[in-house]
Amino acid sequence: MAEIVLRDLVKHFGSAVAVAGVHLQIEDGEFLIMVGPSGCGKTTTLNMISGLETPTSGEIFIGDQVVNDLEPGERGLGMVFQDLALFPHMTVFENIAFGLRVKKTEEAEVERRVRAAADAMHIGALLDKRPSECSGGEAQRVALARTIVNDPSVFLMDEPLSSLDAKLRLDMRTELKHLHHRLRATFVYVTHDQAEAMTMADRIVVMEGGRIEQVGAPLEIYRRPASRFVAGFFGVPTMNFLEGEVAAGAGDGLEFRSTRVVQPLSASTPAAVAGSAATLGVRAEHVRLAPSDDGAGRVTLTEPLGDETLVFFEFGGSAPLVAKVDPDSPLGPGDPVAFDFDRDWCHLFDPESGARLN
Amino acid sequence: MRPGGRSRLRRYRQAWVRHAILLAWTFFIVFPLYWMLSTSFKDAGEWVSWPPHWYPHEFTIHNYRQIFTFSALGEELSRDATEQAFSIWKALGDSLLICSVASFLALVLGVFLAYAISRFAVGGSKFRHIILTIRMVPPIVIAIPILMYYAIMIPFTTELLFGARITLFDTYFGLGALYVATTLPFVIWMMLSFIDEVPFTLEHAARMMGAGRMYTLRRVVLPLVASGLVVTYLFVFILNWSEFLLALTLTHPEVTTLPVLLNKFQSASEGRLYGPQAAIGTVITIPVVVLGVLIQKHLIKGFSFGMIRR
Repeated sequence: MAEIVLRDLVKHFGSAVAVAGVHLQIEDGEFLIMVGPSGCGKTTTLNMISGLETPTSGEIFIGDQVVNDLEPGERGLGMVFQDLALFPHMTVFENIAFGLRVKKTEEAEVERRVRAAADAMHIGALLDKRPSECSGGEAQRVALARTIVNDPSVFLMDEPLSSLDAKLRLDMRTELKHLHHRLRATFVYVTHDQAEAMTMADRIVVMEGGRIEQVGAPLEIYRRPASRFVAGFFGVPTMNFLEGEVAAGAGDGLEFRSTRVVQPLSASTPAAVAGSAATLGVRAEHVRLAPSDDGAGRVTLTEPLGDETLVFFEFGGSAPLVAKVDPDSPLGPGDPVAFDFDRDWCHLFDPESGARLN
Repeated sequence: MRPGGRSRLRRYRQAWVRHAILLAWTFFIVFPLYWMLSTSFKDAGEWVSWPPHWYPHEFTIHNYRQIFTFSALGEELSRDATEQAFSIWKALGDSLLICSVASFLALVLGVFLAYAISRFAVGGSKFRHIILTIRMVPPIVIAIPILMYYAIMIPFTTELLFGARITLFDTYFGLGALYVATTLPFVIWMMLSFIDEVPFTLEHAARMMGAGRMYTLRRVVLPLVASGLVVTYLFVFILNWSEFLLALTLTHPEVTTLPVLLNKFQSASEGRLYGPQAAIGTVITIPVVVLGVLIQKHLIKGFSFGMIRR
């Protein structure tokens, strides 16, 4: 069993609080991705699981054993580092064999397992080379093979794709997902790239300021962000935000009022929100645009992406809004537009705490 | 003349002046070395002849034969001082033994200390600079106090406590230990710059695979700083090889290093034997020059590492 439980995990560096009470259960065989901006505590959390950092307080369970006092090498984990950390003075073979030799494995067994791991990662031809002679993608595979060969039940990965170019990164994402399916091991993966998290994870942990903001499946996080921070962190382009207040509408429903915007809200909006200040969040794909001479908006910029086009428009509010439209849309800079939002996809957040209101 | 032509002329003239100055300086530096080499091949009559002989008129290897005899130092007293044997074997052996062992011990200790300072900030963030200030103390300041310890206080104390006189004066251990202590700051400083360059994620990776500290140090860190180890060892060896003051103060007559032996030829009892002296000087200098040239590039690298830290 490779279930990991973090209980009230806290880490201080001097007076700075890196991780401020993390509570998390990682299921056996799960691909869990911790995501957040720099300094949110995700890498520190990973390092505490690995044993490279000692928690200030709290407990870490692997299986049903508390591992706080175990050395990194005794926890049965494998780790891939951001800079890959291949040993430059050793050949690829020696790199992969390192962990086995530490455990004084018989040399014939070392040979057999290194070759098996290398074949699994398609780097059998590189075994006599030095890491410096490998390309970025090859080095990545060597680092994975070096981890796989030790047969860990949990793989920890600290932004392993960040050193690759964009194309290779996409390929490696697919490959990592395949690897996870094949090995059925637990993957704990840290990244600051929300797209990486969305594409690979079974579950995403969003962190900010040393705390967990939200835990959930990728689509759940995208569709129902628990806070304004999560809403703004996921999705490209960034979600539109409007400051205003919630009030009783014309019918029996509620509506959101802001400068030049009155947006009816869905019937499921809790009545308790009425009368309070709120931040309305709406994604670009839920903004509906129509050319209209007496519309409130005016297009400032368009960005064709091929399969869709982003339209930025002013409407007299504090910041321009962005909408996703059909690529064949005739809209161009200067065109007047009318706009409204899909009421089922309007997110309301507390302007102070950022917590979700609806 | 076009302005461009004039500035080119000026540049040309500047280059001339620069080279002339550098050549004069080089001559100034190299001439004594040449004179030493040339004197070492001169016969006794030519050492101080006037006008000076710019090169040996009667080329001889007599001086070298004299210093490489196997007689004990100053054993045969001859009326003709030039026929007297001044074997350097004993001093050469002493120098080699003390310098190589002391440099090695300083290296071993220094590597561990540098590792601890680099990885765990032992002693605080300024400690690495404080270490180097130890070298600001001139050797003369410690020479006499150490002599008091070696020759008087330690023998006296040990006799009082254990009933046996243990002296460090005029012993291999006494001089060697002092060489370890005085060169340790250099070893730490130089090795720090090399060890700092080894990414600590390499050590993390090794630890994740179950390697202990010593295993990681032996298999990962030390192989990566191997060239640094060699450079540091040679640098410290050269320092010890040419050390004079401490050796002069703390040894005699049992232990004699080459720089101390070299000084004997200038004293009243042995006279001024420029020939053998020049021959010994040449023998001492050659390894230093060879090593210096070999490690020159690494030395600059080793020192500049500390200056251009991230």
